[in-house]
Amino acid sequence: MAKILIPTPLRQFTAGKDTVEVSGATVGDCLEALTAQHADLRKNLYNDEGKLRSFVNVYLNDEDIRYLGKTGTAAKDSDTISIVPSIAGGR
Amino acid sequence: MIRIEKQAWDTMVAHARECYPRECCGAMLGVEENGVRLVKAARPMRNAFEGAQEDTYQLDPAEQLAVEKEARAQSFSVLGIFHSHPDCDAYFSKRDLQNSCPWYSFVVLSIQKGEFHHANSFLPNFEQTEAKQEPLEY
Repeated sequence: MAKILIPTPLRQFTAGKDTVEVSGATVGDCLEALTAQHADLRKNLYNDEGKLRSFVNVYLNDEDIRYLGKTGTAAKDSDTISIVPSIAGGR
Repeated sequence: MIRIEKQAWDTMVAHARECYPRECCGAMLGVEENGVRLVKAARPMRNAFEGAQEDTYQLDPAEQLAVEKEARAQSFSVLGIFHSHPDCDAYFSKRDLQNSCPWYSFVVLSIQKGEFHHANSFLPNFEQTEAKQEPLEY
């Protein structure tokens, strides 16, 4: 099973768990499995159209999946998936 | 509301002054109790924007992961992100809003002529279309 690291502000939606282990052939499958287990997470990660929110970046081990196969990137049992919000701005 | 302990606040202001006239950025770590975000530590971060930093900041994802790891180790949460507005008021700009995240408080520090002037905190919505001002104590 792949391991998903839960960002600290979202632990309230995973009963305090830091990491959640999920089964899935792709990163997208793993994220779907995560939100199936913890339904309150869904609003934080997906918009009303079921797409990942624009501020949600996902890393497979140390690689941004936008530069791999996006949510279709294959996931292995030994993989770690991280959710990192994209943050910038300026006056 | 968000309450920032003195040591954390001093770290944030010092980082904003050091970076002036460029925008600084960083993370605020602590605990949330009874609806109050209590910031116990501030972590200055690198402005990763590859261009004029006088009016832009961008967090480095690798550093975000490191800060998350540090927060876990201390049983803290990453409660918010801070950045500075050099020679300009502490408002939440359109670009701040469009590149925000609803999981966090966003504290903006106004640095005028190199010195701290005032600060505000904002809570953006999921759609990144609106941000409410949040009571801030420091």
